[in-house]
Amino acid sequence: MKINTRKFGEIKIDEKKILTMPEGLPGFSGFECFILIEDPETAPFCLFQSTQEPNLALIIMNPFLFKPDYKIDLEGFIVARSWQDVLIEDLLVYVVVNIIQGNSEKKITANLIGPLIINSKNNEAIQLAVSNSSYSHQHNILEHL
Amino acid sequence: MLVLTRKAGEKIKIGDNIVVNVLEIEGGGVKIGIDAPKEITILRMEILEQIRNENVQAAEKSGSDIRQAAEFFKKRLPEE
Repeated sequence: MKINTRKFGEIKIDEKKILTMPEGLPGFSGFECFILIEDPETAPFCLFQSTQEPNLALIIMNPFLFKPDYKIDLEGFIVARSWQDVLIEDLLVYVVVNIIQGNSEKKITANLIGPLIINSKNNEAIQLAVSNSSYSHQHNILEHL
Repeated sequence: MLVLTRKAGEKIKIGDNIVVNVLEIEGGGVKIGIDAPKEITILRMEILEQIRNENVQAAEKSGSDIRQAAEFFKKRLPEE
């Protein structure tokens, strides 16, 4: 099927790759279908693009690239969702990224308390809220490289 | 909104399997213990607000030049 995006205009997507967010995306209720757009030219950043609203897209990335010791309780997460036969290896972890273009310097922050977890077995995506951690919602990824 | 007054050591039951326990009241803070099933998400409200704000900001900025940011990021990555 074809969808419209602000960034890439009209693109063709594989319907089987559509990710659903049964618990919704905080801040954007009503939008439940997304697609992960990976472009080698923008790697390691990818776009989490709504298939319903061209203007709704978040930049996300693999947190382990800048924070190899990033830890979230994925086992507890699987148990809490009563997902059967889902292993930790079936989950993909991303974090929402903000690129802030200042006057002289660029700042890139990642939200480590709201990781986006994609279950590759059932194509569900859930933004987990991490409590009781010392992680920041505005982790400066360049500073800690 | 239901409003109840509780003293330290007193509890509130919500539904069949959630119990809120007022553990300690000290200064301006209240220490609360919550027993609930694992599938119930319990969060400090401000965590959810921060996540929501970051999402909204990120969506506004997704039109920014990611390609340039990607180059910038790769330059800063330590050599393998």
